[in-house]
Amino acid sequence: MRKRLVIFPLLALIIGAIIGIKSSFVFSPLYSKYVAIGILACIDSCLGGIRSQLNKSFDMFIFLSGFFGNTIIAILLTWLGNKLNIQLEIAAIVVYGSRLFDNFAQIRRFFIKKKEY
Amino acid sequence: MKKTRNAVFGMTFICALLGIIIGVQFKTVQSQNNNTLDNKRISDLTLELKKALEEKEALSVKVEEYEEKIKTYEDEVSDSDTSYNLIKNELENVKAMAGLTELTGEGIVVTLTENANMKSVAQSDAFLIHAEDILNVVNEMSVGGAKAIAINGQRIVATSPIRCAGSVVTVNGNKIAEPFEISALGDADVIEAALRFPGGVIDSLSPWGIDVSIKKVSDLTIPAYTYPITLNEYMKTNETGEE
Repeated sequence: MRKRLVIFPLLALIIGAIIGIKSSFVFSPLYSKYVAIGILACIDSCLGGIRSQLNKSFDMFIFLSGFFGNTIIAILLTWLGNKLNIQLEIAAIVVYGSRLFDNFAQIRRFFIKKKEY
Repeated sequence: MKKTRNAVFGMTFICALLGIIIGVQFKTVQSQNNNTLDNKRISDLTLELKKALEEKEALSVKVEEYEEKIKTYEDEVSDSDTSYNLIKNELENVKAMAGLTELTGEGIVVTLTENANMKSVAQSDAFLIHAEDILNVVNEMSVGGAKAIAINGQRIVATSPIRCAGSVVTVNGNKIAEPFEISALGDADVIEAALRFPGGVIDSLSPWGIDVSIKKVSDLTIPAYTYPITLNEYMKTNETGEE
């Protein structure tokens, strides 16, 4: 993927956020915790997708299944933790958070390396 | 090339979805924060408190007004008829017993004070004056024949609660603080004897550094119970029963 194509997902993200804020729709406060953990999983998947595109190892099916699968698993973990009175969402936060940094580091490296040549 | 385009299209779509969710969640969290009490500025709360106090003041003025009205009605009626005089006397007695009138007479004032040194040395609840301690004193006063009792200006009536509410004590729903001044009308010597009974109230308080000072007063004034008395559906007079 050429570097400048990264601009499209980024633009979509910003436009989406604006639409979300402008809309009158609000999540129920009851589910806001689940949505937050879901968002974290989504961000992780998106960064993973960008990285694999830059590595030219991108597979649409893996990306989409990861995107929805990770999100659902993160939400289920949080729900289960609530039922068992253990903060299982911390596991999700730590794993997805550290992977997020990992993915970002690889993307960063890719751009810096390309510049050198 | 086509694969790349597909990939970019997919990413763009997913990112838009993610953006929408983030935006909505952002708004959700923001609206939550606005609603919680924690985030309300203290000045707002102070203002609300002030408003509530003013309202209370206005309402108590109203209560006084109504009481005045009742009094004039009673006066008007009783002027003419002698049988009404009897009823009025009876009413006065009942009112005095119920705590609805201000009373003056010989009595006793008991002041409970916490020992500041003890409190600072040992950070323990044991050195504080609890609602139970006040209740015990009030109870012993009744044993000693006290007929009208008030705590820090709050008249004790049949339904008066004395309870612990966090770090303060409430009487008739009013917060009162240390030092607790419990005044009672009655034979001061008898009441004092009831309090000083060996192993009694005062003996049980002194190990905790609570200072009890007893003062006999010849013209003690006990305030009236100032809250409206409301009867509810649970109170039914037994019409057929004996007196």
